[in-house]
Amino acid sequence: MRQWVGVLARLVVGIVDVVAGLSKFPDPAGNVRQVRAFQILPEAVVPTVGHALPTVELVIGGALLLGLFTRAFAILAALFFIAFIIGISAAWARGLEINCGCFGSHGVPANPQRQYAVDIARDIGLLICCAWLIVWPRTRLALDNLLFPNDERLADGEQDKSAVEV
Amino acid sequence: MANKTSQQSKSERAQALMREQQRRERTRNLLVIGSIAVAILIVAGVLFAVQSKSDKTGQTAKEVPTNLSGTYNVVIGKKSAPTTIKLYEDLQCPICKDFEQVAGSQVQAAIAGGKVKVDYHMVAFLDRSSTTNYSSRALNAAMAVLSTAGPEAFLKFHTIAYANQPAEGSAGVPDSTLVDWAVQAGASRTEVTPLINGNVYHQWVLNATDQMSRDHISGTPTIFVNGKEYTSPQQGAAAVLAATK
Repeated sequence: MRQWVGVLARLVVGIVDVVAGLSKFPDPAGNVRQVRAFQILPEAVVPTVGHALPTVELVIGGALLLGLFTRAFAILAALFFIAFIIGISAAWARGLEINCGCFGSHGVPANPQRQYAVDIARDIGLLICCAWLIVWPRTRLALDNLLFPNDERLADGEQDKSAVEV
Repeated sequence: MANKTSQQSKSERAQALMREQQRRERTRNLLVIGSIAVAILIVAGVLFAVQSKSDKTGQTAKEVPTNLSGTYNVVIGKKSAPTTIKLYEDLQCPICKDFEQVAGSQVQAAIAGGKVKVDYHMVAFLDRSSTTNYSSRALNAAMAVLSTAGPEAFLKFHTIAYANQPAEGSAGVPDSTLVDWAVQAGASRTEVTPLINGNVYHQWVLNATDQMSRDHISGTPTIFVNGKEYTSPQQGAAAVLAATK
């Protein structure tokens, strides 16, 4: 059962990251502007971070969908969600209005305050999924099971032999 | 005694075998992790390179519009006008269209009457709202009109473009229609056609849009009346209507 919950957590975080990465990929200049709009990072690194974002999202999302290095990528994803939560909170606190490009949306949202709250709630939900995977990284239907069939560190309490067969 | 020794050595041998097997397993796992990590890094490197290479922002524009007031703006109205309105607008932005429908004609009357001057910062960040990069093509056409026929014609083109704004998600408007609008606004067909069909100011348009972001303007319309910023279009429109009455 726990291993199936893990599959669900992987699918949720993986699909969100892949969709976000794909929607950002065609507009690198827009991603740079998006990063700049938060007014947190120094200008010297803004373009690099903007260009790296979709790649990072696609790689993390893809790895989680495949169940590849689940714990490592869940940790990475969690760090990013924490960074997003901090960034959105800081923008909110400073009264910045950001046309959130999270999913390639445009324009200033009709109600930015509400949008901030929704975005933070979503990121907290995703963070919980990551936390689950960090604690119980052994899941069904994962490449990890083929690559590391005997890895004790990945095994959870339920030592399920059938996991190996998947 | 002999028995015990042999038993001991047997279990020692078994332990050694197990250790050996664990060692082999560790080596194998490290190899698997290492090679997959390298593969992931290569994929990430390629994706990152594609991203940064396809972003032409900031490169020097070969063709720059003329009749601008600054690098990326055009001020229309009498210098002596007591009120200055500054606008950041995208020709594909529906809320800008709403603003122009509410305030546009009154603003133009106030410009003519010497009450206000308007500092237009036109940008194009909504290319993904059409299937044909309408946002940046329309701005290119507006700049072609400004360059060949002057600020008054630009303002007419601006009005025509908002009145006929294509819906978000549509195929936008073809270049031939942009040329028709330009001619309607007062530009010469032979002059603007190559500028519009060639999308010649595209790099300038990219850089103008980047400048908006560097000015910490994160959306359109952003409206300033005498230096006071309104990010809420409703409040901005109200302030503009009050200032142009």
